[in-house]
Order: sequence, then structure tokens, then C-alpha cells
Amino acid sequence: MNLELLFVNFPYFVAIILFSLGTLIVLTQTNLIKKVIGINILQSAIFLFFIILGDIQGGVPPIYDPNFPDALYVNPLPSTLMLTGIVVSFSVTAFALALIVKLYLFYGTICAPNFMKLK
Amino acid sequence: MVSVLELPFLCIIGTLVAAFCMPVLARWKRNFCAPLATIVTGAVFITTIIIAYHVMHGEPIRYAVSGWAPPWGIEIVVESLSSMMLMLLSGISFLILIFSFPAIKHEMEHKVIGWYYTAFLLTLAGMMGLVISNDIFNFYVFIEVTGLGACSLVAAKGTRQATEAALKYLLLATIGSGFILFGIGFLYMITGHLNLTFIAQELALVKDSYPFLIWTSLSFFTVGFGVKAALFPLHLWLPDAHSSAASPSSAVLSSLVVKVYIIAFLKILLIAFGLEIFHETFIRHLILVLSIIAMLAGSFFAFVQIELKRRLAYSTVAQVGYIFLGIGLGTPWGLAAGMLHIVVHAFMKTCLFLTAGAFYYQTGIKKVNQFAGMGYKMPITMGAFTIAAFSMVGIPLFGGFISKYGLALGSLEADLPLIILVIIISGLLNATYYFPIIGQAYFSQDGEEHSHGHSSHAEDNRNNAHAEHETPGKFQIDQVPLSMLVPIVILALGIIYLGISPGIVLDFINKTVVALL
Amino acid sequence: MHDYVTRVVFRYMLLFVLLYGVYVIMHGHLSPGGGFSGGMIIGLGLLLYILIFGQLWNDSFRQMIIDAAIIFVGIGGILEVSKFLIPHEHGPIGVTGTLFSVGIISVANFGIGVLVASTILGIYYMISEEA
Repeated sequence: MNLELLFVNFPYFVAIILFSLGTLIVLTQTNLIKKVIGINILQSAIFLFFIILGDIQGGVPPIYDPNFPDALYVNPLPSTLMLTGIVVSFSVTAFALALIVKLYLFYGTICAPNFMKLK
Repeated sequence: MVSVLELPFLCIIGTLVAAFCMPVLARWKRNFCAPLATIVTGAVFITTIIIAYHVMHGEPIRYAVSGWAPPWGIEIVVESLSSMMLMLLSGISFLILIFSFPAIKHEMEHKVIGWYYTAFLLTLAGMMGLVISNDIFNFYVFIEVTGLGACSLVAAKGTRQATEAALKYLLLATIGSGFILFGIGFLYMITGHLNLTFIAQELALVKDSYPFLIWTSLSFFTVGFGVKAALFPLHLWLPDAHSSAASPSSAVLSSLVVKVYIIAFLKILLIAFGLEIFHETFIRHLILVLSIIAMLAGSFFAFVQIELKRRLAYSTVAQVGYIFLGIGLGTPWGLAAGMLHIVVHAFMKTCLFLTAGAFYYQTGIKKVNQFAGMGYKMPITMGAFTIAAFSMVGIPLFGGFISKYGLALGSLEADLPLIILVIIISGLLNATYYFPIIGQAYFSQDGEEHSHGHSSHAEDNRNNAHAEHETPGKFQIDQVPLSMLVPIVILALGIIYLGISPGIVLDFINKTVVALL
Repeated sequence: MHDYVTRVVFRYMLLFVLLYGVYVIMHGHLSPGGGFSGGMIIGLGLLLYILIFGQLWNDSFRQMIIDAAIIFVGIGGILEVSKFLIPHEHGPIGVTGTLFSVGIISVANFGIGVLVASTILGIYYMISEEA
């Protein structure tokens, strides 16, 4: 068992564990607000994963500084992509909350088993 | 002057701008929304015909957005399959929008009509973007646009069931797109590119170094697109969402939205990973097994449903199985038949859902056991329903037969002759749940007895026009508006045309299949 | 909300929140941040103001706010698209560390900021209209 591999790559493990936890929460929790929190955990795990992808050991933030023309920059592309991901996550959360407000007006509760009659 | 290269990009932008004009317009002049949306979609349809003509008689369109060359910028590629899908998407949407004029006023609250058209155009823009984009992260963005638009289409109906179904759809679809994004991350990790063409070049060089990562990425993509496209064990959201939405929304969800995810999956599978990796990994066998289960189980579940739209929704699960079977076979005929089935099924399922909407509009029926005498009350609509159902079963001369025949040829090519048996069994199951409806509509004894009682009652009070209108057994023309009948008739004629001469669609498909294999 | 401390503190803080949002938008091409983050700060600042001091506006004015929000979403979208429609060969290159040097990108950033802020307010008003 190569424990060193685990320590070097531990952010990836954190991302995968968070992703699994998020999926588990969405699928098993009955409270709808908790389901939305699960969605947010899941998406944060993906953001974490992408940001680790762009990281370089000893790299500096990719802002051009004339004093250090040949500095080692980390890859800014995955972080930029995740900006879009955050926007998407924001809109999904807003939409889900709006639907939950509407369901609360219909049923007076946000606990799923009380009304999820659909199979 | 706009060159033909910029046309696909302008299609998407135009649709998006029109989508955001809708809610503002709805506050001032609500009646202008429907014509404007229809005109925009019609213009996009004409534009896509020009694009398709250009692509068929020349090179594929490659356009770098804003002039940034491909590895850095976003690239749009329209080859023959994409151009055909563009035509299909905008054409079917155009017909559904014409149908929506009366249907939406009948089935929805008046204050959400503007938002309905916003969601519709947003979904259309997302789908077209997904089909023509060549950038893998753009896929994710357009997948989310399409997903949010589709959820809004379900939720726009505003009933309890529709809201529940929309929430369920939203949660599961977000998990699906999360899986897709993870897959994109792994692919970027291996290759360092986001453009499909460059990923393919890089992957061919390094694929022996990362066997596990490629496997992981492929399985994430399969699960993600499986949730999105409702591959059998992951289809849980589909029947609720498709049956509780308004019937034009169900038509667009069931016939188009599910299919564009399959096209995107196909592009990632065949262009980025390539056929070699696809055949080496076990993903192909997984897709084969799941699609066979989907074909059988989807039909079984459809058989036990009482509600018409739920039955149609489960039938979609089975038909998605056919398309995935074509992908899983991985042979030229299998792939071509799978793509042809995308087109044919779009026609069939739109026709079926629109006829379901027309039945509901005139008579208010929702259950499959209320169809007695419907063939005489609504002959044109019922005739279109019959044509679409025959095509669904796979009777020769109708569109569904060609694609099933192609799938059978593909399974012979792949040395799996037993799959022909599965296709035949699934076709027979289709027959068992469509033919009772048709038989009831044309030959029902029950209905005639019922009608005798009714007509004698009607003779007593002749002046009761409503009772006379209810009289079955007497041939009369449909009572639905013309703008509902015309799309249904066009779709039915399209199914027959596809069944008699599928050559023009197969030309488009063959060009792509030859380029891919 | 009737908490005295919150009201007094936020009365003085609001200006700085909005100013910080504008700063982040203006420096979008020089430092981390940009249209989305700045617009989010402005939108959340206004939202906090509404939450703390209550609904100051009547119904017809609120309708107008929603309309304006939708229109601004459209304008912001068009400005953002303009960033892609103009080929980069014809756009300005920009000078490192100089605030007003990138032309259309600043305008696009500003559009995104307005878009995000009005989206947040629009979502809040639509949900509170339903409830």
C-alpha cells in the first residue's frame, strides 16, 4: 500500500469524497432544503477538483507582474471555467428554491415523503 | 454581409435574444409572444436549411468564435449530422410552436405564457448549441441551459404534480451534469485540451499511459449522459416529468431534449475517444446490456400504465434503448440506424404527444380506456395517431420499420444475431400497448352500445347540440382548431415519407458515419 | 427586522459595499474578480438593505423593478455577446496595470455586473411575489 501517493494526491480524494457525500445527501435526505444543500456540496466538490487540476507546486497567481517576467504561473483556465460553473450552480440553486417555495405553498411542508405521490 | 460560416452562431444568438424579449413583451402585449416566437423559430428553420444545403454540397463549416483559433478559442463545427440535427430541432420546434397557439391557452395559466415561450426558446438555443459546439466545456454550459429550460417547461404548467416532477427532474439532472463535468475534468487532466479535435489527437498519443483515467472518464460520461438521456435504470425522472407537463412541452422534451444528449455523448465517444478505445473498454458491452434491458423493461412498464401520456413517456424509455443499442453495436449500420431512429422517433413521439394534446383539448380524456368511438369523433387526429403507432411498432411502409431493419442489419454485422429476437419481442410489446387503443377507437362494441343509448337519448332532445356532438358511430370532422391539426398532419405525412424513401436522411447520416469510422 | 445594531451598522456600510462592488467590476481585467463577482456584491448589498429595512416600495413600483431587472438582464447579455462578436484583431490590446485601456471589455464587464445584480433582485422579488 503506497501511503505516500495518498498524501500527495489528498485534494483529489477530498473532492471525490465530497462528491460522493453530496450525491448521497441528494438521494437519501427527505428534507428538500437538505437536498439542495447536497447539490451545492456536490458542485463544490467539482469546483475543488478543477481548481486542483490547474495547480502547480510553487506557482504564483497568474497576474502579470513586470518585476518578475519569468515567474511560474498556475494554470488559470480551470479556475476560469469554474466561474461559469459557479454561475450555473447559483442558477440551479435559485430555481430549486423557487420550486420548493411553490411546493411549500401547495402542501405546507418541505418534507418529501408527505407529498411525493409520484412513482 | 454575413457569410454562411457565421449563420449557425447567429441562429443561437438570435434565439437567445428572442427568448429574453419574451417576458418583457408579455407584460405589454401578451398576444404578441406566440407569433414572435414562431416567426423567430421559422426564420431559424430556413437558416438551417441554407446551412444544410451548404454542408451537403461542400466542406463542413468550421468557425472560430470571435477569431480566436481553435486550441484557445471556442470552435463551432457543423458537419452533415449536425446540420441535419439543426434542421430537425428547429423544424419540429416550429411545428410544436404552431400547435402551442391554442393548446397553451387551454392548458396553462395566462400569466405564465410569456415565460413558457422564454423557456421554450432557451431550450431550443441550448439544444442547437449542444449539437454544433466542438468545445467540451461548452457542452457543459449548453447542457445546463437545456436542462434548466426543460425543467422550466415542466414547471410552467403550475400544478402540484408538475412542480414536484420539475423538482425531481432538476435534482437528478444536476447530478447527471455533475458527473459529466467530472468526466470533462478527467479528460482535461489527461490531454490538457478542451477542443474535441485536439483531444482526439492528444489521446491517440498518450492513451497507453493512462488506462485507468480513460476508463474512469468514460464511465463518468456514461453515467452522466445516461441520467440525462434516461438510459434504463437511470430513467426515474422521465415518466413523471414528461407526463405531468403540458402536451406541447412533453412533445419537445420527449422528442428532442433527450436526443441531443445522445448526440453529445456520441460526439464525445466517437470523436474524442475514438472507435478504438470504445471497442477496447467494457463501456460498449455495458451500453449494449443496458439498452437491451431498456427496450424490454420500458415496454413492460408502458404496458401497465393507464394514463395515455404516462404510457407514451415509458415508451420513450424503450425507444431510447433502441438508439443506445445502435451506439452499442458500434458497426456502420448500427450507428446509422441509431441516428436514423433519432429522427424517426422525433417525428413519431411529437405526433403522438400532439395528438394526445388534441384529444385532451376536444374531449378532455386522459386514460387509455376512454377511446371508444374516437375514430369517428376525431378522424384526422386518430388517423395520425394510428400512423405514428404503426410506425412505433415497426410495420413496413412506416418510418419505424427502416430504423429497426437497420438495427437488425447492424446486429448481424456485429455477430450478435440474438439481438434481432430482442428487437422483434420489443416490437410485439409495442403492439400490445398501442393496438388496444386503436382497436377501441375504431371497432369498440362497448362504445357503440354506449352510443346507441346516447343517440336515442339525443333523438329525444334534438335541440341539445352537445349531446349530438357526443354521438359516436357517426362520422364527423375534428372540432380542434386548424393550427392544431396542421402540425399533426404534417408529422404524420413525414412519418410515411420517411418509411417510403429514407434516402435523404440516410445521405446526411452516411456522410458522418463514413467520416467517423 | 427590528434589530437596532444591524440597522445602524448597515446604514453606514451600504455605501462601502456598493463602492467595493463597483471597484471589483472596474478592475475586472487587472485583478481577480470582474463582472460576476462585483455584480454579486452589489446585488447582495441591495438585497441586505431590503431585508433589513423592509419592503419600502409599493406593488406597482415593484413591478417596475422586475421589468427593469429583466431589461437589464437583456442589455447585459447583449453587451456580453458583443465581447465575442468583435474579433480580437480589431479590439484593443490593453496596457498592463492601466485601468482604462481595454475598451469593450470594460463595457462588457459592466454589463455582466448590472445583469447579475438585477438577476438577484429579480429572483428575490419574484419569489416574494409568489409567497
